[in-house]
Amino acid sequence: MQKSRSLAIVFVAPALIVLTGILGWPLVSAVLLSMQDVRTIGSAGQWIGLHNYQAVLSNQSFWMAVAMSIIWVVANAAAQTALALITALTLNQNFPGVRIVRTWVILTWIVPTVVVVIIWRWLFSTSGGMINPLLAQAGMIDRPIGFFSTPWTAMATLIFINSWRWFPFIALMMLAGLTRIPSDLYEAARIDGANGWRSFTRITWPLLAPTLGVLTVVGTLLSFNVFDIIWLMTAGGPAGGTRTLPIIIYETAFKGYKLSEAATMSVLATILLMAFALLASRTLMREDDR
Amino acid sequence: MKRSLPSSLLLYFSLIVLTLLIGLPFWWVLSGAFKLPQEIIARVPTMVPHSFTLQHFMKLLSGSDYPTYMVNSMIVAVLSTAVTLALAIPAAYAFFRLAFPGREILYRVILLAYAFPSTVVLIPLFGMFAKIGLIDTLAALVIVNVTFALPFSIWMLRSFFASIPKEIEEAAIMDGTPPTIILRRIMIPLIAPGIASVGIFAFISAWTEYVFASVLILSDGKRTVPVGFSGIIGQYQIDWGLLLAGASLAVLPVVILFALVGRWFVSGLTEGAVK
Repeated sequence: MQKSRSLAIVFVAPALIVLTGILGWPLVSAVLLSMQDVRTIGSAGQWIGLHNYQAVLSNQSFWMAVAMSIIWVVANAAAQTALALITALTLNQNFPGVRIVRTWVILTWIVPTVVVVIIWRWLFSTSGGMINPLLAQAGMIDRPIGFFSTPWTAMATLIFINSWRWFPFIALMMLAGLTRIPSDLYEAARIDGANGWRSFTRITWPLLAPTLGVLTVVGTLLSFNVFDIIWLMTAGGPAGGTRTLPIIIYETAFKGYKLSEAATMSVLATILLMAFALLASRTLMREDDR
Repeated sequence: MKRSLPSSLLLYFSLIVLTLLIGLPFWWVLSGAFKLPQEIIARVPTMVPHSFTLQHFMKLLSGSDYPTYMVNSMIVAVLSTAVTLALAIPAAYAFFRLAFPGREILYRVILLAYAFPSTVVLIPLFGMFAKIGLIDTLAALVIVNVTFALPFSIWMLRSFFASIPKEIEEAAIMDGTPPTIILRRIMIPLIAPGIASVGIFAFISAWTEYVFASVLILSDGKRTVPVGFSGIIGQYQIDWGLLLAGASLAVLPVVILFALVGRWFVSGLTEGAVK
C-alpha cells in the first residue's frame, strides 16, 4: 500500500506540476493582476483594490460583449446539437462504407482554424466565392450579399462556420451514447408494431437525453472559449457585432495596453462560466436522480 | 434487418447532405488551388477545374516564409505529442489503478481544467514566460500545448485502461510483478489504440493552436503555420490562389496522419466516452 502511494506520486506529479504551473498559478496571478493598475507587460503596478472591477462593470462595451457571448454560446449550442444529433442518428445506421464516413466526418475539426477561415472567407466572399453565385442561380438573391458587412449577418455567418467546425466532434460523442442503447429494445418495439418515429420518441430520445445534456454543457464551454475563428474572420466587427468576451479581453490587453483591466474581465468571464457549469451539472444530476 | 423504403431514402438523403456539407468546401479549396487566377474569380464558379497550374504552390514555397512555418509547426506538434504522452500515460494509470489520497477530487479538478477559458491564463503566462526567458521560443508553445492537451488525454487514457479485463492485470499482480513492469509490459501494449488516439489529439491540438502562438512568438522566423499563414492573408492584396494552396498544404499533414491512425481516434472517442 505504502509502495503504491509513493509510486502514484511519481506517476501523477509531473502532470500535476505542469497543470498547476501553467494553469493554476496564472489563474491566481490573473486575480492578483486584476487588483493592480498594470498597463503593459513587465511594468510594475500599484494595488488599487477592486477599482478595476468597478470600471469594468460600468463599462458598456463589456456588457455588450457579455450579451454577444451569450448569443454566441446559445446559438452555437442549438445549431451544433441539432446538426450533431441528425449526424449521429445517420452514422448509427448500417450502410456500406459506414466506417469510412465515421472516420472522415471529423475532417472539419482536425484542420487548423486558419484553414477553416480561408475556406469560408473565400466561399462567402463577394468576388469569386461560391455561395453568392449559387444563391443567385437559385433565384434567391438579386445581388451579392456582403455576409460580413452587417453585425447580424456577420454573427449568423460566424455561428454557422463555428458549428460546421464542431458538430462532427459532438456527433461522434453522441454516437457513443447511441451505441450504448441495447438493440433488443428496438427489436421488442418493432415486434410490438412501433414505427421508426415511435421508437425514436419512446426509446432513443429518453435514453439519449442525459448524454445530450452533458454534451450541450461541454459544447457551451468549448464555444465560449472560441477566439481564433472570430478574430481571424471579423476581429469582433462590424461595429462590435461579433465582439465576444475572449475578443474584448484580447483587445484590451494587447491592443489597448490595459493589462489589469483585461485580467479583470477574464476573471469575471471565468466566474460566469464556472457558475454556468455548476448550475448545469446540478440540473443534470437532478435529472439523473429522477 | 431490412429497412423500409422511406427510411432508406431518409438515410441516403442525410448521407448526401452530410457529404456535401463537409466534402464540398474542401473540394472547392483543393481544386481551386490548381486553378488559374482568372478561373478562381470567375463569375460562374466551376466544379471541376478547367485549367491546371502549380504557380500558387511555387509562389508559396519559394516566395514566402511558408516552408519555415511548416517546419516550426512540425517541431512543435511532434514534441507536444511526445511530452503529452509521456506525462499522461503514467498519470492516467495512477488515476485508474493506484490508491492515493485525494484521487477523486484531483481527477475532477483536472477534468474541469479542460473547459478552462484559455484567455484567462494568456496574460499572466506572457508575464511569467517573459521572466524566465521563454518568450519567442518554440519550447513555450510546447509547454502550453501539453498543458491544454493533458486533461482530455488523461480522461481518455483512463477509460482505455478501464476497458482492459481485470483478470489480465490480477494474474500479473499474483505473480508479484511490480506496477512499473505491469504498466510497461502489459498495459501499454494493450491500450495501443488509446495511445494512438491521444497522440492524434495532442498532435492536432498543437498543429491548430492559434492564440498562444500569436502572442508568445514575436519573430517571423519562429512562427507556426496558423499564425504565419494568417499573416499572409493580410500581407498581400488578397491572392486567393496563394491562400487556397497554403490551406491545402496545411491540411496535408493531419490528413495523412488521420488516414494512418484516424480510425483508432474515432473508436477511442466513441468507445472511450462510454465509461
